[in-house]
Amino acid sequence: MGGTLSYPHTDVGIPREPYQVLVLGSPSAESSEWAVSVKGLTREYTTRNFFGGVARSTWALSGVDFQVAVGELFGLIGPNGAGKTTTIKILTTLLTPTGGDATILGLDVRKDLYEIRRRIGIVFGGERGLYNRVSAVDNLRYFSDLYGVDSGVAKKRIPQLLEVVGLADRAQERVEKYSRGMKQRLHIAKALVHDPELIFLDEPTIGLDPAGARDIRNMVRELKAQGKTILLTTHYMFEAEELCQRVGVISKGKIVALDTPSDLKNMVRDISVIDLRTYGATMEYVEALRALPSVVRVVADLDSEEQSIRVQTPMGADLLPQVVAALPEGTKIIDRTIKEPTLEDAYLRLVEE
Amino acid sequence: MPSMDDLTPGKRTEGYLGQRVQVLKASMFLTSRLFFADPQWVIPNIIAPFIFTLVAFELFDGQTSSGSFLLYLVLGSGLMGMWGTTIYASANSIGFDRWNGTMESTLAAPMPLSWIALGRVLFNTLQGVLTAVFILVIGIAWFRTGFTLVNPPAFFLASVSTFLSLSTFGLLMTTVLLLSRKGGFITNSMEIPVYIATGTMFPVILLPIVYLPFAFMLAPTWGIDAIRIAALPNYVGLPTTYWQDMAIMAVETLAYLALAFFLFKRVEAYAKKIGTLEEY
Repeated sequence: MGGTLSYPHTDVGIPREPYQVLVLGSPSAESSEWAVSVKGLTREYTTRNFFGGVARSTWALSGVDFQVAVGELFGLIGPNGAGKTTTIKILTTLLTPTGGDATILGLDVRKDLYEIRRRIGIVFGGERGLYNRVSAVDNLRYFSDLYGVDSGVAKKRIPQLLEVVGLADRAQERVEKYSRGMKQRLHIAKALVHDPELIFLDEPTIGLDPAGARDIRNMVRELKAQGKTILLTTHYMFEAEELCQRVGVISKGKIVALDTPSDLKNMVRDISVIDLRTYGATMEYVEALRALPSVVRVVADLDSEEQSIRVQTPMGADLLPQVVAALPEGTKIIDRTIKEPTLEDAYLRLVEE
Repeated sequence: MPSMDDLTPGKRTEGYLGQRVQVLKASMFLTSRLFFADPQWVIPNIIAPFIFTLVAFELFDGQTSSGSFLLYLVLGSGLMGMWGTTIYASANSIGFDRWNGTMESTLAAPMPLSWIALGRVLFNTLQGVLTAVFILVIGIAWFRTGFTLVNPPAFFLASVSTFLSLSTFGLLMTTVLLLSRKGGFITNSMEIPVYIATGTMFPVILLPIVYLPFAFMLAPTWGIDAIRIAALPNYVGLPTTYWQDMAIMAVETLAYLALAFFLFKRVEAYAKKIGTLEEY
């Protein structure tokens, strides 16, 4: 097993075969040893017609299993609509599961709502969750009262939190004047105002510039160093790789893999990645690359002036002559690099299976 | 820059009641901050009452030296203001959370939503009281109208009780809004019928008899009657005494409160089940 955590139930072996879901113990009698324990979790969304009958039914989760140890930084990654946010909402008691069991710090998400809420903090991604017309101080004071923080403690803790997240000098300004990164830092302060044991970070760096995202990642590291348990969802694979001790890959409402980032990467150790920076590339070139016999997968970002194309192949550098030969007229390769596969490559293989 | 290790450890407020009072105060405080942060608050709370008062004084030119006239004006506009702000602002305070994206954050707090909503409703109802006070000030200071009350302590008690009763009714309405944005249709459509049925516009006794059962089910109906008994000389209203009005209002208000807290629990659970909390 990767990482330095000491998990309960370590007698349970971790299979090394790719694509197999790794179950670290059973959330049965000793479920309180886990910060998060999820077993067979399902969630169905139904749309009803005028007469109250079910018009449409969608299974957002169809049997999710995973556990997070106390003090662990656990990542949940998956494509849009895979079930990440639904899982987070159930675990934070905002949504009722249709089936299965989930416990947070040993407490049942169906029965122990308020006790769970007292002990967790939630950071929503994006613009949600703050009162923009009032100041950061007003926001924090309001939420500290909602969480029942002793007023004497709040008086000390709120200015300290604003210092920690670098907003002390703008604390009295209305939040609507804040940049996206500042709002996200305030989200972190809000989630910490009641000193929770477990923190849910739902895509905390989405839409941030590189510096803002780096600040948030540093804060996540600090929280981890403090011994907080963190469940992070993200779209950014490098972020999960950089921060998380273990990562669960969720696809179509199920966990399709769960392991340390390095072990997940081992699933794709049979391939190399050719990273291309091109000028003038179109879908025509991407399709030509996909048609090459030994190409496993091509991922392209064609929206910028310089395009980025990622070619997965077991041939490595030997494929380069064919990659160059497939160039249409007017397309140029600015830079090319042969790389080891990353978590993103493993992720792409997993979610496309 | 200080690190997270330097933070003062969290500690919770002790006691069931202490925690709820803390939430109530926080909710009222935030609602007031949001209210005053929007410069438009001046229009319904200062400009509109001023124009309303001005028109009323011009219409009844010559009769305005009587204290009763000002009282009618203050009571009518104040009670309409209280109900108007209760039904709109309270209902919209939850709608605002949905629109603002703060619904999930609010619901994620370890406190029943009913207590958070009650704080908001109390502040919003208080706005109506402030409108009434403003009209009183205009009447006395601008139009030099006299002002006397038959029984000031009874008037004060009835006013505070009616304010609480209206707030409780607003809380009941808020449960409808929590379920879906379509609930706004129901609450909006109740504004004028409740004005009429509670006797805000004119004494309930003038209503056709078929409407009276509905009027009697509304706690503010009794409160408004009690206020008028305590304030106006020679007032002819319902065939009940001041204390009977107060007792009936208290019973109905407690029933609203119990129903509101019950519905909040059910609605919160149902909203979590259907998963439409944050949809706007």
